[in-house]
Amino acid sequence: MKKRGLPELFFLILVIYLILPVLGTALYAFSTKWNNTILPEGITLEWMAFLFQDMKFLEAFGRSVLLSGGAVALAFLFIVPAIFVIVLYFPKYEKWVQAAVVLVYAFPGVILAVGLIRAYAHLGVPMIFTILGAYVIGILPYIYQGTRNSLRNVNARQLLDAAELLGASKTQALLKVLLPAVYPGLFVAALLSFSILFGEFVLINLVVGSRFETVQIYLMKKLNSSGHIASAVVVVYLVLMSLLTAVIYGLTKRMKGVAHT
Amino acid sequence: MSYVMIENLRKTYGASTVLSDIHMTIGKGEFVTLLGPSGCGKSTILRIIAGLTDATAGSVSIDGKDLRNIESKNREVGMVFQSYALFPNMTVKENVAFGLEMKKMDPIEIEKQVRDMLAVVRLSDKEKAYPQELSGGQQQRVALARALIVRPKVLLLDEPLSALDAQIRKKLQADLRAIQTELGITMILVTHDQEEAMAVSDKIWVMNQGGIAQCGTPTEIYTKPGNEFVANFIGHYNVFSRQELEQLIGQPLPGDHVKFAIRPEAIRTEECPGAYQVKAVAKDSMMSGNVIRTVFQAGERTFSIEQLHQQARVFEQGKVYECYVESNDVIALK
Repeated sequence: MKKRGLPELFFLILVIYLILPVLGTALYAFSTKWNNTILPEGITLEWMAFLFQDMKFLEAFGRSVLLSGGAVALAFLFIVPAIFVIVLYFPKYEKWVQAAVVLVYAFPGVILAVGLIRAYAHLGVPMIFTILGAYVIGILPYIYQGTRNSLRNVNARQLLDAAELLGASKTQALLKVLLPAVYPGLFVAALLSFSILFGEFVLINLVVGSRFETVQIYLMKKLNSSGHIASAVVVVYLVLMSLLTAVIYGLTKRMKGVAHT
Repeated sequence: MSYVMIENLRKTYGASTVLSDIHMTIGKGEFVTLLGPSGCGKSTILRIIAGLTDATAGSVSIDGKDLRNIESKNREVGMVFQSYALFPNMTVKENVAFGLEMKKMDPIEIEKQVRDMLAVVRLSDKEKAYPQELSGGQQQRVALARALIVRPKVLLLDEPLSALDAQIRKKLQADLRAIQTELGITMILVTHDQEEAMAVSDKIWVMNQGGIAQCGTPTEIYTKPGNEFVANFIGHYNVFSRQELEQLIGQPLPGDHVKFAIRPEAIRTEECPGAYQVKAVAKDSMMSGNVIRTVFQAGERTFSIEQLHQQARVFEQGKVYECYVESNDVIALK
Protein backbone atom coordinates (compact mmCIF):
# COMPACT_ATOMS: atom_id res chain seq x y z
CA MET A 1 0.00 0.00 0.00
CA LYS A 2 1.25 3.49 -0.83
CA LYS A 3 2.50 5.39 2.21
CA ARG A 4 0.97 8.76 2.96
CA GLY A 5 3.62 11.44 3.02
CA LEU A 6 4.15 15.11 3.73
CA PRO A 7 2.23 16.41 0.71
CA GLU A 8 -0.95 14.70 1.92
CA LEU A 9 -0.40 16.11 5.43
CA PHE A 10 0.02 19.67 4.12
CA PHE A 11 -3.04 19.25 1.95
CA LEU A 12 -5.02 18.08 4.97
CA ILE A 13 -3.84 21.10 7.01
CA LEU A 14 -4.85 23.41 4.16
CA VAL A 15 -8.30 21.83 3.90
CA ILE A 16 -8.83 22.17 7.66
CA TYR A 17 -7.61 25.79 7.52
CA LEU A 18 -10.09 26.59 4.75
CA ILE A 19 -13.05 24.61 5.99
CA LEU A 20 -12.90 25.29 9.73
CA PRO A 21 -14.10 28.95 9.58
CA VAL A 22 -16.90 28.03 7.18
CA LEU A 23 -17.92 25.10 9.36
CA GLY A 24 -17.79 27.29 12.46
CA THR A 25 -19.95 29.97 10.83
CA ALA A 26 -22.46 27.39 9.61
CA LEU A 27 -22.64 25.79 13.07
CA TYR A 28 -23.10 29.20 14.68
CA ALA A 29 -25.99 29.94 12.31
CA PHE A 30 -27.78 26.82 13.59
CA SER A 31 -26.76 26.95 17.27
CA THR A 32 -28.95 28.00 20.19
CA LYS A 33 -26.01 29.20 22.25
CA TRP A 34 -22.27 28.81 21.71
CA ASN A 35 -20.28 30.88 24.17
CA ASN A 36 -18.36 28.86 26.72
CA THR A 37 -18.46 25.37 25.20
CA ILE A 38 -16.37 23.61 22.56
CA LEU A 39 -19.43 22.67 20.54
CA PRO A 40 -22.81 24.48 20.40
CA GLU A 41 -25.13 23.85 23.33
CA GLY A 42 -28.06 23.11 21.01
CA ILE A 43 -29.19 23.22 17.39
CA THR A 44 -31.99 25.47 16.12
CA LEU A 45 -33.49 26.77 12.90
CA GLU A 46 -34.62 29.92 14.67
CA TRP A 47 -32.09 32.28 13.03
CA MET A 48 -32.66 30.91 9.59
CA ALA A 49 -36.44 31.19 10.05
CA PHE A 50 -36.04 34.76 11.28
CA LEU A 51 -33.94 35.62 8.26
CA PHE A 52 -36.48 34.36 5.76
CA GLN A 53 -39.31 36.12 7.59
CA ASP A 54 -37.42 39.39 7.73
CA MET A 55 -38.65 41.56 4.86
CA LYS A 56 -35.52 43.68 5.09
CA PHE A 57 -33.36 40.65 4.28
CA LEU A 58 -35.60 39.52 1.44
CA GLU A 59 -35.65 43.04 0.00
CA ALA A 60 -31.87 43.29 0.36
CA PHE A 61 -31.50 39.92 -1.35
CA GLY A 62 -33.79 41.10 -4.15
CA ARG A 63 -31.80 44.32 -4.54
CA SER A 64 -28.52 42.38 -4.73
CA VAL A 65 -29.94 40.08 -7.39
CA LEU A 66 -31.40 43.04 -9.30
CA LEU A 67 -28.21 45.08 -9.16
CA SER A 68 -25.82 42.23 -9.97
CA GLY A 69 -28.12 40.69 -12.57
CA GLY A 70 -28.82 44.09 -14.11
CA ALA A 71 -25.12 44.86 -14.46
CA VAL A 72 -24.45 41.46 -16.04
CA ALA A 73 -27.41 41.90 -18.40
CA LEU A 74 -26.18 45.35 -19.45
CA ALA A 75 -22.67 44.00 -19.98
CA PHE A 76 -24.04 41.25 -22.22
CA LEU A 77 -26.12 43.75 -24.12
CA PHE A 78 -23.31 46.21 -24.83
CA ILE A 79 -19.92 44.66 -24.09
CA VAL A 80 -20.31 41.14 -25.51
CA PRO A 81 -21.38 42.25 -29.01
CA ALA A 82 -18.47 44.71 -29.04
CA ILE A 83 -16.04 41.95 -28.07
CA PHE A 84 -17.51 39.68 -30.76
CA VAL A 85 -16.93 42.32 -33.42
CA ILE A 86 -13.44 43.19 -32.20
CA VAL A 87 -12.22 39.59 -31.81
CA LEU A 88 -13.75 38.36 -35.06
CA TYR A 89 -13.28 41.28 -37.42
CA PHE A 90 -10.88 43.84 -35.88
CA PRO A 91 -8.39 41.86 -33.78
CA LYS A 92 -5.87 44.70 -34.02
CA TYR A 93 -8.11 46.72 -31.64
CA GLU A 94 -7.95 44.02 -28.96
CA LYS A 95 -5.00 45.77 -27.35
CA TRP A 96 -7.30 48.67 -26.38
CA VAL A 97 -9.77 46.32 -24.70
CA GLN A 98 -6.87 44.66 -22.89
CA ALA A 99 -5.70 48.07 -21.68
CA ALA A 100 -9.21 48.79 -20.37
CA VAL A 101 -9.19 45.43 -18.58
CA VAL A 102 -5.94 46.30 -16.82
CA LEU A 103 -7.33 49.72 -15.82
CA VAL A 104 -10.22 48.03 -14.05
CA TYR A 105 -7.77 46.24 -11.79
CA ALA A 106 -5.73 49.40 -11.29
CA PHE A 107 -8.39 51.31 -9.27
CA PRO A 108 -8.85 50.25 -5.62
CA GLY A 109 -12.50 50.28 -4.46
CA VAL A 110 -12.11 53.24 -2.09
CA ILE A 111 -10.50 55.48 -4.72
CA LEU A 112 -13.12 54.43 -7.25
CA ALA A 113 -15.92 55.25 -4.79
CA VAL A 114 -14.54 58.72 -4.03
CA GLY A 115 -14.00 59.32 -7.73
CA LEU A 116 -17.55 58.32 -8.60
CA ILE A 117 -19.02 60.57 -5.89
CA ARG A 118 -16.94 63.57 -7.00
CA ALA A 119 -17.67 63.01 -10.67
CA TYR A 120 -21.38 62.20 -10.57
CA ALA A 121 -22.95 63.34 -7.28
CA HIS A 122 -23.45 66.94 -8.43
CA LEU A 123 -24.93 65.94 -11.80
CA GLY A 124 -28.17 64.77 -10.25
CA VAL A 125 -27.75 61.22 -11.56
CA PRO A 126 -29.07 58.75 -8.95
CA MET A 127 -25.96 57.19 -7.48
CA ILE A 128 -27.38 53.70 -7.78
CA PHE A 129 -27.22 54.09 -11.58
CA THR A 130 -23.65 55.27 -11.22
CA ILE A 131 -22.94 52.10 -9.25
CA LEU A 132 -24.68 50.04 -11.93
CA GLY A 133 -22.47 51.64 -14.60
CA ALA A 134 -19.37 51.06 -12.48
CA TYR A 135 -20.37 47.41 -12.01
CA VAL A 136 -20.74 46.93 -15.77
CA ILE A 137 -17.19 48.21 -16.21
CA GLY A 138 -16.00 46.26 -13.15
CA ILE A 139 -16.92 42.92 -14.67
CA LEU A 140 -15.32 43.77 -18.02
CA PRO A 141 -12.26 41.54 -17.33
CA TYR A 142 -14.41 38.46 -16.69
CA ILE A 143 -16.77 39.11 -19.58
CA TYR A 144 -13.89 39.90 -21.94
CA GLN A 145 -11.81 36.87 -21.00
CA GLY A 146 -14.80 34.54 -21.06
CA THR A 147 -16.05 35.76 -24.42
CA ARG A 148 -12.64 35.95 -26.08
CA ASN A 149 -11.56 32.52 -24.86
CA SER A 150 -14.83 30.95 -25.98
CA LEU A 151 -14.49 32.50 -29.43
CA ARG A 152 -10.86 31.42 -29.74
CA ASN A 153 -11.47 27.91 -28.46
CA VAL A 154 -14.02 27.19 -31.13
CA ASN A 155 -12.02 29.02 -33.83
CA ALA A 156 -15.02 31.30 -34.29
CA ARG A 157 -13.94 33.07 -37.46
CA GLN A 158 -13.43 29.78 -39.26
CA LEU A 159 -16.79 28.46 -38.05
CA LEU A 160 -18.47 31.54 -39.50
CA ASP A 161 -16.57 31.12 -42.77
CA ALA A 162 -17.52 27.43 -42.94
CA ALA A 163 -21.18 28.17 -42.25
CA GLU A 164 -21.32 30.91 -44.88
CA LEU A 165 -19.68 28.68 -47.49
CA LEU A 166 -22.39 26.13 -46.77
CA GLY A 167 -25.02 28.68 -47.68
CA ALA A 168 -25.79 30.36 -44.34
CA SER A 169 -26.29 34.11 -44.11
CA LYS A 170 -24.21 36.01 -41.53
CA THR A 171 -27.19 36.06 -39.15
CA GLN A 172 -27.84 32.34 -39.61
CA ALA A 173 -24.15 31.59 -39.06
CA LEU A 174 -24.22 33.61 -35.84
CA LEU A 175 -27.48 32.20 -34.48
CA LYS A 176 -27.24 28.58 -35.60
CA VAL A 177 -23.51 27.97 -35.30
CA LEU A 178 -21.55 30.50 -33.29
CA LEU A 179 -23.83 31.34 -30.36
CA PRO A 180 -24.72 27.71 -29.58
CA ALA A 181 -21.02 26.85 -29.76
CA VAL A 182 -19.89 29.58 -27.37
CA TYR A 183 -22.90 29.98 -25.06
CA PRO A 184 -21.57 27.70 -22.29
CA GLY A 185 -18.47 29.90 -22.07
CA LEU A 186 -20.58 33.07 -22.06
CA PHE A 187 -22.88 31.60 -19.40
CA VAL A 188 -19.93 30.76 -17.19
CA ALA A 189 -18.62 34.33 -17.59
CA ALA A 190 -22.07 35.65 -16.65
CA LEU A 191 -22.33 33.49 -13.54
CA LEU A 192 -18.80 34.37 -12.47
CA SER A 193 -19.50 38.08 -12.91
CA PHE A 194 -22.81 37.78 -11.05
CA SER A 195 -21.22 36.01 -8.09
CA ILE A 196 -18.45 38.62 -7.88
CA LEU A 197 -20.92 41.52 -7.95
CA PHE A 198 -23.22 39.79 -5.48
CA GLY A 199 -20.42 39.80 -2.93
CA GLU A 200 -19.32 43.40 -3.62
CA PHE A 201 -19.42 45.63 -0.53
CA VAL A 202 -16.90 48.48 -0.68
CA LEU A 203 -18.36 50.46 -3.57
CA ILE A 204 -22.04 50.08 -2.71
CA ASN A 205 -21.44 50.88 0.95
CA LEU A 206 -19.35 53.98 0.31
CA VAL A 207 -21.37 55.42 -2.56
CA VAL A 208 -24.97 54.52 -1.68
CA GLY A 209 -24.89 52.94 1.80
CA SER A 210 -28.26 52.31 3.48
CA ARG A 211 -30.19 54.08 0.74
CA PHE A 212 -29.98 50.88 -1.31
CA GLU A 213 -29.43 48.09 1.16
CA THR A 214 -27.93 44.98 -0.45
CA VAL A 215 -27.21 41.65 1.22
CA GLN A 216 -23.68 42.75 2.06
CA ILE A 217 -24.86 45.95 3.78
CA TYR A 218 -27.58 43.99 5.60
CA LEU A 219 -24.88 41.58 6.74
CA MET A 220 -22.69 44.40 8.06
CA LYS A 221 -25.60 45.79 10.07
CA LYS A 222 -26.46 42.40 11.53
CA LEU A 223 -22.86 41.89 12.60
CA ASN A 224 -23.44 44.59 15.20
CA SER A 225 -26.76 43.23 16.44
CA SER A 226 -26.75 39.41 16.18
CA GLY A 227 -23.87 37.12 15.34
CA HIS A 228 -26.30 34.21 14.79
CA ILE A 229 -28.30 36.07 12.14
CA ALA A 230 -25.13 37.38 10.52
CA SER A 231 -23.90 33.79 10.33
CA ALA A 232 -27.23 32.74 8.84
CA VAL A 233 -26.79 35.42 6.13
CA VAL A 234 -23.30 34.11 5.41
CA VAL A 235 -24.65 30.56 5.13
CA VAL A 236 -27.34 31.63 2.66
CA TYR A 237 -24.71 33.53 0.68
CA LEU A 238 -22.36 30.53 0.68
CA VAL A 239 -25.13 28.17 -0.44
CA LEU A 240 -25.98 30.50 -3.32
CA MET A 241 -22.32 30.78 -4.33
CA SER A 242 -21.87 27.02 -4.05
CA LEU A 243 -24.83 26.47 -6.34
CA LEU A 244 -23.42 28.95 -8.87
CA THR A 245 -20.00 27.30 -8.63
CA ALA A 246 -21.55 23.87 -9.17
CA VAL A 247 -23.34 25.12 -12.27
CA ILE A 248 -20.12 26.74 -13.56
CA TYR A 249 -18.17 23.53 -12.88
CA GLY A 250 -20.81 21.40 -14.56
CA LEU A 251 -20.87 23.62 -17.63
CA THR A 252 -17.10 23.84 -17.90
CA LYS A 253 -16.85 20.06 -17.65
CA ARG A 254 -19.58 19.56 -20.23
CA MET A 255 -17.94 21.92 -22.68
CA LYS A 256 -14.81 19.73 -23.01
CA GLY A 257 -13.27 20.88 -26.27
CA VAL A 258 -16.12 23.24 -27.12
CA ALA A 259 -15.50 26.42 -25.18
CA HIS A 260 -13.82 27.16 -21.91
CA THR A 261 -13.43 30.27 -19.89
CA MET B 1 -11.78 24.12 -71.64
CA SER B 2 -11.06 26.15 -68.48
CA TYR B 3 -13.54 25.66 -65.67
CA VAL B 4 -11.81 27.79 -63.06
CA MET B 5 -10.02 30.83 -64.42
CA ILE B 6 -7.89 33.19 -62.37
CA GLU B 7 -6.62 36.28 -64.15
CA ASN B 8 -4.16 38.98 -63.06
CA LEU B 9 -4.88 38.20 -59.41
CA ARG B 10 -3.10 40.46 -56.97
CA LYS B 11 -3.34 40.82 -53.22
CA THR B 12 -1.51 43.32 -51.09
CA TYR B 13 -1.64 44.17 -47.39
CA GLY B 14 -0.33 47.72 -47.11
CA ALA B 15 3.13 47.69 -48.62
CA SER B 16 3.44 43.92 -48.56
CA THR B 17 2.49 41.98 -51.68
CA VAL B 18 1.07 38.54 -50.98
CA LEU B 19 0.08 37.62 -54.53
CA SER B 20 1.45 39.17 -57.68
CA ASP B 21 -0.20 38.77 -61.05
CA ILE B 22 -1.46 35.20 -60.75
CA HIS B 23 -2.86 33.49 -63.84
CA MET B 24 -4.31 30.02 -63.49
CA THR B 25 -6.63 27.82 -65.50
CA ILE B 26 -8.12 24.63 -64.14
CA GLY B 27 -10.17 22.14 -66.11
CA LYS B 28 -13.50 20.66 -64.98
CA GLY B 29 -13.03 17.56 -62.79
CA GLU B 30 -9.31 18.19 -62.34
CA PHE B 31 -7.52 17.64 -59.04
CA VAL B 32 -5.08 20.50 -58.81
CA THR B 33 -2.59 21.26 -56.06
CA LEU B 34 -1.10 24.58 -55.05
CA LEU B 35 2.25 23.58 -53.62
CA GLY B 36 4.68 25.86 -51.89
CA PRO B 37 6.35 26.83 -48.62
CA SER B 38 4.49 28.60 -45.82
CA GLY B 39 3.66 32.21 -46.62
CA CYS B 40 3.88 31.85 -50.40
CA GLY B 41 0.25 32.93 -50.85
CA LYS B 42 -1.38 29.61 -51.71
CA SER B 43 -4.04 29.77 -48.97
CA THR B 44 -4.79 33.36 -49.93
CA ILE B 45 -5.71 32.18 -53.43
CA LEU B 46 -8.17 29.68 -51.92
CA ARG B 47 -9.70 32.33 -49.66
CA ILE B 48 -10.10 34.69 -52.61
CA ILE B 49 -11.81 31.94 -54.66
CA ALA B 50 -14.10 31.25 -51.69
CA GLY B 51 -14.88 34.95 -51.25
CA LEU B 52 -13.47 35.02 -47.72
CA THR B 53 -10.76 37.50 -48.70
CA ASP B 54 -11.05 40.29 -51.25
CA ALA B 55 -8.51 40.50 -54.04
CA THR B 56 -6.70 43.80 -54.56
CA ALA B 57 -6.96 43.31 -58.32
CA GLY B 58 -7.81 40.61 -60.84
CA SER B 59 -10.70 38.23 -61.24
CA VAL B 60 -11.81 34.69 -60.54
CA SER B 61 -14.44 32.93 -62.58
CA ILE B 62 -15.97 29.48 -62.28
CA ASP B 63 -17.84 27.90 -65.16
CA GLY B 64 -17.76 31.23 -66.98
CA LYS B 65 -19.29 33.17 -64.07
CA ASP B 66 -17.28 36.10 -62.69
CA LEU B 67 -17.28 35.77 -58.87
CA ARG B 68 -16.22 39.32 -58.03
CA ASN B 69 -19.60 40.55 -56.76
CA ILE B 70 -20.93 37.24 -55.51
CA GLU B 71 -21.13 36.48 -51.78
CA SER B 72 -19.38 33.40 -50.38
CA LYS B 73 -22.65 31.60 -49.73
CA ASN B 74 -23.72 31.96 -53.37
CA ARG B 75 -20.45 30.96 -55.02
CA GLU B 76 -21.14 27.20 -55.03
CA VAL B 77 -17.69 26.65 -53.64
CA GLY B 78 -16.97 24.22 -50.78
CA MET B 79 -14.03 24.40 -48.46
CA VAL B 80 -12.32 22.01 -46.07
CA PHE B 81 -10.17 23.73 -43.47
CA GLN B 82 -6.96 22.57 -41.84
CA SER B 83 -8.57 22.72 -38.39
CA TYR B 84 -11.74 21.02 -39.73
CA ALA B 85 -14.06 23.87 -38.57
CA LEU B 86 -16.73 21.38 -37.56
CA PHE B 87 -19.63 22.86 -35.62
CA PRO B 88 -18.98 21.65 -32.05
CA ASN B 89 -22.59 21.95 -30.95
CA MET B 90 -23.82 19.61 -33.70
CA THR B 91 -23.51 15.86 -34.19
CA VAL B 92 -21.79 14.38 -37.23
CA LYS B 93 -25.16 13.99 -38.93
CA GLU B 94 -26.20 17.58 -38.15
CA ASN B 95 -22.87 18.91 -39.39
CA VAL B 96 -23.21 17.08 -42.69
CA ALA B 97 -26.87 18.07 -43.05
CA PHE B 98 -26.21 21.78 -42.36
CA GLY B 99 -25.59 22.84 -45.96
CA LEU B 100 -28.71 21.06 -47.22
CA GLU B 101 -30.81 22.61 -44.44
CA MET B 102 -29.58 26.04 -45.52
CA LYS B 103 -30.87 25.17 -48.99
CA LYS B 104 -34.24 24.39 -47.34
CA MET B 105 -34.25 20.91 -48.82
CA ASP B 106 -36.96 18.40 -47.91
CA PRO B 107 -36.01 16.70 -44.56
CA ILE B 108 -36.57 13.20 -45.98
CA GLU B 109 -34.24 13.95 -48.88
CA ILE B 110 -31.69 15.45 -46.45
CA GLU B 111 -31.82 12.27 -44.36
CA LYS B 112 -31.19 10.12 -47.43
CA GLN B 113 -28.37 12.25 -48.80
CA VAL B 114 -26.64 12.49 -45.41
CA ARG B 115 -26.82 8.70 -45.02
CA ASP B 116 -25.34 8.21 -48.50
CA MET B 117 -22.58 10.75 -47.92
CA LEU B 118 -21.62 9.27 -44.55
CA ALA B 119 -21.34 5.91 -46.29
CA VAL B 120 -18.99 7.44 -48.89
CA VAL B 121 -16.67 8.68 -46.13
CA ARG B 122 -17.17 5.47 -44.08
CA LEU B 123 -18.67 7.17 -41.04
CA SER B 124 -22.17 5.70 -40.99
CA ASP B 125 -21.67 4.40 -37.45
CA LYS B 126 -20.64 7.82 -36.14
CA GLU B 127 -23.65 9.90 -37.15
CA LYS B 128 -24.70 10.58 -33.55
CA ALA B 129 -21.20 11.41 -32.30
CA TYR B 130 -20.05 14.96 -31.60
CA PRO B 131 -16.89 16.19 -33.36
CA GLN B 132 -14.86 16.22 -30.16
CA GLU B 133 -15.56 12.49 -29.75
CA LEU B 134 -13.88 11.66 -33.08
CA SER B 135 -10.24 11.18 -34.06
CA GLY B 136 -8.52 13.76 -36.27
CA GLY B 137 -8.91 11.57 -39.36
CA GLN B 138 -12.60 11.01 -38.69
CA GLN B 139 -13.17 14.73 -38.11
CA GLN B 140 -11.52 15.51 -41.41
CA ARG B 141 -13.77 12.99 -43.18
CA VAL B 142 -16.82 14.67 -41.62
CA ALA B 143 -15.54 18.02 -42.87
CA LEU B 144 -15.11 16.50 -46.33
CA ALA B 145 -18.62 15.00 -46.29
CA ARG B 146 -20.11 18.30 -45.12
CA ALA B 147 -18.42 20.20 -47.94
CA LEU B 148 -19.22 17.60 -50.63
CA ILE B 149 -22.88 17.04 -49.84
CA VAL B 150 -23.91 20.45 -51.21
CA ARG B 151 -22.35 19.44 -54.57
CA PRO B 152 -20.07 22.47 -54.92
CA LYS B 153 -18.72 23.29 -58.34
CA VAL B 154 -15.24 23.47 -56.86
CA LEU B 155 -13.98 22.03 -53.58
CA LEU B 156 -11.13 23.89 -51.92
CA LEU B 157 -8.91 21.96 -49.52
CA ASP B 158 -6.75 24.15 -47.30
CA GLU B 159 -4.00 21.84 -45.97
CA PRO B 160 -6.70 19.42 -44.79
CA LEU B 161 -4.32 16.62 -43.87
CA SER B 162 -1.40 18.47 -42.36
CA ALA B 163 -2.54 18.01 -38.75
CA LEU B 164 -2.77 14.22 -39.09
CA ASP B 165 -0.09 11.61 -38.51
CA ALA B 166 1.71 10.10 -41.51
CA GLN B 167 -0.21 6.82 -41.70
CA ILE B 168 -3.68 8.39 -41.55
CA ARG B 169 -2.56 11.12 -43.93
CA LYS B 170 -1.56 8.57 -46.57
CA LYS B 171 -4.85 6.72 -46.14
CA LEU B 172 -6.84 9.94 -46.46
CA GLN B 173 -4.84 11.00 -49.52
CA ALA B 174 -5.99 7.80 -51.22
CA ASP B 175 -9.57 8.36 -49.97
CA LEU B 176 -9.54 11.94 -51.22
CA ARG B 177 -8.39 10.91 -54.68
CA ALA B 178 -10.90 8.04 -54.83
CA ILE B 179 -13.81 10.30 -53.81
CA GLN B 180 -12.73 12.96 -56.30
CA THR B 181 -12.59 10.40 -59.10
CA GLU B 182 -15.94 8.91 -58.08
CA LEU B 183 -17.77 12.25 -57.88
CA GLY B 184 -15.84 13.93 -60.72
CA ILE B 185 -15.63 17.14 -58.73
CA THR B 186 -13.02 19.85 -59.36
CA MET B 187 -10.72 20.06 -56.36
CA ILE B 188 -7.99 22.53 -55.46
CA LEU B 189 -5.68 21.36 -52.71
CA VAL B 190 -3.24 23.58 -50.84
CA THR B 191 -0.27 21.85 -49.29
CA HIS B 192 3.40 22.33 -48.54
CA ASP B 193 3.98 18.57 -48.69
CA GLN B 194 5.42 17.70 -52.11
CA GLU B 195 4.84 13.96 -51.64
CA GLU B 196 1.16 14.63 -50.96
CA ALA B 197 0.95 16.84 -54.03
CA MET B 198 2.58 14.16 -56.19
CA ALA B 199 0.31 11.45 -54.80
CA VAL B 200 -3.08 13.03 -55.47
CA SER B 201 -2.80 15.65 -58.21
CA ASP B 202 -3.55 15.77 -61.90
CA LYS B 203 -1.66 19.03 -62.03
CA ILE B 204 0.59 20.91 -59.62
CA TRP B 205 1.11 24.65 -59.42
CA VAL B 206 4.32 25.28 -57.50
CA MET B 207 4.24 28.68 -55.81
CA ASN B 208 6.98 30.88 -54.42
CA GLN B 209 6.82 34.37 -52.91
CA GLY B 210 3.35 35.17 -54.17
CA GLY B 211 3.93 33.97 -57.73
CA ILE B 212 3.71 30.78 -59.77
CA ALA B 213 7.12 29.11 -60.02
CA GLN B 214 6.03 26.26 -62.30
CA CYS B 215 2.95 24.39 -63.42
CA GLY B 216 2.75 20.84 -64.74
CA THR B 217 1.80 17.25 -64.10
CA PRO B 218 3.51 15.58 -61.14
CA THR B 219 5.84 13.77 -63.56
CA GLU B 220 6.73 16.99 -65.40
CA ILE B 221 7.35 18.84 -62.16
CA TYR B 222 9.52 16.06 -60.80
CA THR B 223 11.51 15.22 -63.90
CA LYS B 224 11.79 18.68 -65.39
CA PRO B 225 12.00 21.31 -62.66
CA GLY B 226 11.99 24.65 -64.43
CA ASN B 227 14.07 26.63 -61.98
CA GLU B 228 16.28 26.40 -58.94
CA PHE B 229 13.43 26.98 -56.48
CA VAL B 230 11.36 24.07 -57.85
CA ALA B 231 14.40 21.80 -58.01
CA ASN B 232 15.20 22.54 -54.37
CA PHE B 233 11.58 22.28 -53.24
CA ILE B 234 10.73 19.04 -55.06
CA GLY B 235 12.56 15.94 -53.89
CA HIS B 236 16.21 16.11 -53.00
CA TYR B 237 17.65 17.45 -56.22
CA ASN B 238 21.37 18.20 -56.36
CA VAL B 239 21.61 21.76 -57.62
CA PHE B 240 24.95 23.01 -59.01
CA SER B 241 26.24 26.19 -60.56
CA ARG B 242 27.82 25.74 -64.02
CA GLN B 243 31.29 26.25 -62.56
CA GLU B 244 30.73 23.70 -59.78
CA LEU B 245 29.41 21.03 -62.15
CA GLU B 246 32.10 21.62 -64.78
CA GLN B 247 34.73 21.22 -62.08
CA LEU B 248 33.14 17.98 -60.88
CA ILE B 249 32.82 16.32 -64.29
CA GLY B 250 36.05 17.83 -65.62
CA GLN B 251 34.62 19.08 -68.91
CA PRO B 252 32.60 22.05 -70.22
CA LEU B 253 28.81 21.84 -70.40
CA PRO B 254 26.89 22.83 -73.54
CA GLY B 255 24.57 25.89 -73.64
CA ASP B 256 24.64 29.02 -71.53
CA HIS B 257 22.56 28.04 -68.51
CA VAL B 258 24.09 28.94 -65.15
CA LYS B 259 22.33 26.42 -62.88
CA PHE B 260 21.85 22.68 -63.25
CA ALA B 261 19.95 20.04 -61.31
CA ILE B 262 20.49 16.29 -61.08
CA ARG B 263 18.01 13.89 -59.49
CA PRO B 264 19.68 11.90 -56.69
CA GLU B 265 18.60 8.57 -58.22
CA ALA B 266 20.15 9.55 -61.58
CA ILE B 267 23.65 9.40 -60.12
CA ARG B 268 24.93 5.81 -60.22
CA THR B 269 28.05 4.01 -59.16
CA GLU B 270 27.86 1.26 -61.80
CA GLU B 271 30.03 1.99 -64.82
CA CYS B 272 28.06 3.72 -67.52
CA PRO B 273 29.85 4.29 -70.86
CA GLY B 274 29.58 7.82 -72.24
CA ALA B 275 28.31 9.27 -68.95
CA TYR B 276 29.89 12.10 -67.01
CA GLN B 277 32.24 10.71 -64.40
CA VAL B 278 32.91 12.06 -60.89
CA LYS B 279 35.29 10.75 -58.24
CA ALA B 280 33.81 11.24 -54.76
CA VAL B 281 34.21 10.11 -51.16
CA ALA B 282 31.26 8.37 -49.47
CA LYS B 283 30.17 10.17 -46.31
CA ASP B 284 26.95 9.56 -44.37
CA SER B 285 24.15 7.22 -45.36
CA MET B 286 20.59 7.72 -44.21
CA MET B 287 17.62 5.44 -44.60
CA SER B 288 14.33 7.05 -45.52
CA GLY B 289 11.61 4.44 -45.94
CA ASN B 290 12.55 2.20 -48.84
CA VAL B 291 15.24 4.60 -50.04
CA ILE B 292 18.83 4.93 -48.85
CA ARG B 293 20.35 8.35 -49.33
CA THR B 294 24.14 8.63 -49.30
CA VAL B 295 26.07 11.88 -49.24
CA PHE B 296 29.27 12.04 -51.31
CA GLN B 297 31.95 14.67 -51.24
CA ALA B 298 33.97 15.73 -54.28
CA GLY B 299 36.37 18.54 -53.45
CA GLU B 300 34.41 21.10 -51.47
CA ARG B 301 31.07 20.18 -53.00
CA THR B 302 28.72 17.52 -51.65
CA PHE B 303 25.91 15.74 -53.48
CA SER B 304 23.59 12.91 -52.59
CA ILE B 305 22.55 9.78 -54.39
CA GLU B 306 19.50 7.65 -53.67
CA GLN B 307 19.09 3.92 -54.13
CA LEU B 308 16.18 1.61 -53.49
CA HIS B 309 16.81 -0.22 -50.26
CA GLN B 310 16.61 -3.77 -51.65
CA GLN B 311 18.93 -3.06 -54.58
CA ALA B 312 21.25 -0.75 -52.69
CA ARG B 313 25.01 -1.02 -52.91
CA VAL B 314 26.65 -0.60 -49.51
CA PHE B 315 29.15 2.27 -49.50
CA GLU B 316 32.09 2.19 -47.16
CA GLN B 317 32.41 5.49 -45.37
CA GLY B 318 35.55 7.39 -46.41
CA LYS B 319 36.18 5.26 -49.50
CA VAL B 320 36.47 6.84 -52.95
CA TYR B 321 33.91 5.79 -55.58
CA GLU B 322 33.41 6.56 -59.25
CA CYS B 323 29.98 8.11 -59.80
CA TYR B 324 28.29 8.37 -63.23
CA VAL B 325 25.65 10.76 -64.56
CA GLU B 326 24.24 10.55 -68.05
CA SER B 327 24.17 13.87 -69.89
CA ASN B 328 20.40 13.77 -70.39
CA ASP B 329 19.95 13.53 -66.61
CA VAL B 330 21.62 16.91 -66.17
CA ILE B 331 18.72 19.37 -66.18
CA ALA B 332 19.46 22.95 -67.12
CA LEU B 333 17.53 25.41 -64.92
CA LYS B 334 16.26 28.84 -65.85
